[in-house]
Amino acid sequence: MAVSATNSSRDVLDSRLLPGDQLFENFAKLIGVQDLGSAMWNSFSVAVGTTVLALVVCSIAGYAFEIFHSRGKDFVMAILLLAIMIPFAATMVPLFRLFAEVGLVNSLAAVIIPAISTPFLILLFRQASRSFPYEIIEAARIDGVSEVGIFARIYLPSMRSTMAAAAVITFMTAWNNFLWPKVILVNNAFQTMPMLISNLAAGYVTDYGVLMLAVLLASLPTMVIFLILQRTFAEGITGAIK
Amino acid sequence: MHAFSKKVTMAVAVALPLTLALGACSAGGGGGGGGAGGDENTLTAWAWDPTFNINALEEAEKVYQEDHPDFELEIVETPWEDLEPKLTTLAQSQQFGELPDIFLMQNNAFQKNGVNYPDLFSEIDTDAVDFSQFPEAVTAYSTVDGVNYGVPFDNGTAIQALRTDVLEEAGYTIDDFTDITWDQFITQAEDVLAKTGMPLLSGQAGAADTVMMILQSAGASLFDDEGNPTIDDNPALDEAIDIYTRLVDSGVFVEVNSWDEYLGTFVNGSVAGTINGIWIVGSIQGAEDQAGKWAATNLPRAEGIDGATQFSANGGSSWVVSSNANVDLATDFLATTFAGSTELYDTILPTSGAVANWIPAGGSSVYAEPNEFFGGQPIFADVVRFGAEVPSNNTGAYYYEGRDAVSAAITQIIGGADLKTALGEAQANVEFAME
Repeated sequence: MAVSATNSSRDVLDSRLLPGDQLFENFAKLIGVQDLGSAMWNSFSVAVGTTVLALVVCSIAGYAFEIFHSRGKDFVMAILLLAIMIPFAATMVPLFRLFAEVGLVNSLAAVIIPAISTPFLILLFRQASRSFPYEIIEAARIDGVSEVGIFARIYLPSMRSTMAAAAVITFMTAWNNFLWPKVILVNNAFQTMPMLISNLAAGYVTDYGVLMLAVLLASLPTMVIFLILQRTFAEGITGAIK
Repeated sequence: MHAFSKKVTMAVAVALPLTLALGACSAGGGGGGGGAGGDENTLTAWAWDPTFNINALEEAEKVYQEDHPDFELEIVETPWEDLEPKLTTLAQSQQFGELPDIFLMQNNAFQKNGVNYPDLFSEIDTDAVDFSQFPEAVTAYSTVDGVNYGVPFDNGTAIQALRTDVLEEAGYTIDDFTDITWDQFITQAEDVLAKTGMPLLSGQAGAADTVMMILQSAGASLFDDEGNPTIDDNPALDEAIDIYTRLVDSGVFVEVNSWDEYLGTFVNGSVAGTINGIWIVGSIQGAEDQAGKWAATNLPRAEGIDGATQFSANGGSSWVVSSNANVDLATDFLATTFAGSTELYDTILPTSGAVANWIPAGGSSVYAEPNEFFGGQPIFADVVRFGAEVPSNNTGAYYYEGRDAVSAAITQIIGGADLKTALGEAQANVEFAME
């Protein structure tokens, strides 16, 4: 992919394996035919917005499912887990109708909202919460710490590795999200990186050098985030399974 | 009470940033959808490919602005692979208000969408658009129950494009491959392969493009007039698959694994020709070192099929006026430009290679200009002439299901499976998909 991004379309079709000198030309062509800056910004906004909100919502939900006691919570959790099995394509039409009725079609909010509460992340936080000592919560309550304080100042700091794992998974999923954004967004101004790549591959004549450069640029943010959080990501995943 | 206030605090703490963040994100909107331009002089359009379809729309806007200076066209780049699920979602959720005024539709998908989601379309006024100026085979794609819902644009007329230098090396000219049968083609192609080591054709393994082109060249189809699949009892299909099998077995047709590899076979010169829609010329011309070494002619004829001709098509698309459109303005725009402007087609031919389906465009001097890449041959005038001869066929509402099933059957047959058994399975699969 990196090598192809430096070669011309003809060289890519010729299966050239050596780096070429077309990188800047490919970049010039890419920004000439597509609004790269806007697509990057939109993808970044969606991915960061989704990640932050998903971490907030799912960590609270996971914490609540494990720490607070309610007769129906296991039943609710079972329903949530069953929801994992429903393919997104099956819920797309009613979801579209919902967003159309509240006037959110063609907005980044419509891309973010369906992704901020996912059964997998709630399960991840719930499993991680199992290893959190309940005695600490009881001691904090006796000391007069509020419930918000227990969650924010005691629970969250101890969940750093789970947070990192959840952040990597959510960011990658949101960054690569394609089906729903392409349906709900109907304006070039809201185009995301996967949609930009789809545009580049849609014509009768595809410039494979430009296409590979766009794919490379679209892959970089997720690679960087994963590399930065790699160690804590591994701890978070194994911690959740323990 | 204390516990309750803690819960309320927690809920507010979550809901407040959520609301603020999402509110900040939801700016904008409007613009793109909704029948749609916002004022009576503006149309919105969904189409794909900036260098081809979108370029044509932009030039059409300029042509229309000559008599309508206040007119504006807002174009939203939407690949067909994205446009189709978008249309399906809008139709199933009944949110027709999100449709643009105009959108582009692949000809082969027209019947399926026209039959399943008629509410997406507005009828094209035949007083405004003269459909007799388009090939009947093309208008048939967008005609549902006698009503026309599309203005044909992109020409999918098929050509046989061959490397003249390779033919010459083997002692042939392009005339030897003109007005011939598939049997003659295979004989001559085998000779070219023996003398030069170059196969003449290539294609994606498991793709039915060649078989479908052979079928259409005889006006045959995978469906009968009632739309029922006829895959397991279709002499034309049997013959088309037999031709394809002989092409592959003789080595004159190289099967590759992907579209990229297919393009690579003739761009890098490992194959000396191709048979496809005229739009393939854009990829052929990517091999600049082969300029002047190509020629185009009509297709071989399938002698064993009743009504076989030398002409066929693969691909192509038509403009649709949506049910949410400013119908009068959208129809007038299409009638004045894509169904009425030689100037438009003369402009977009050299800039994007978009060849007209509108027959009067083929008579212009621009179409008659020699194409240096094709050795000075006026290939676009030839293609418009070929297009008028393409037989009409019945794509049916389940064209893609039929095509996919036949593709799978071809793979099995090439692998040694019995023709009747493989086509029987394909028939059953299509019938299942139609249930």
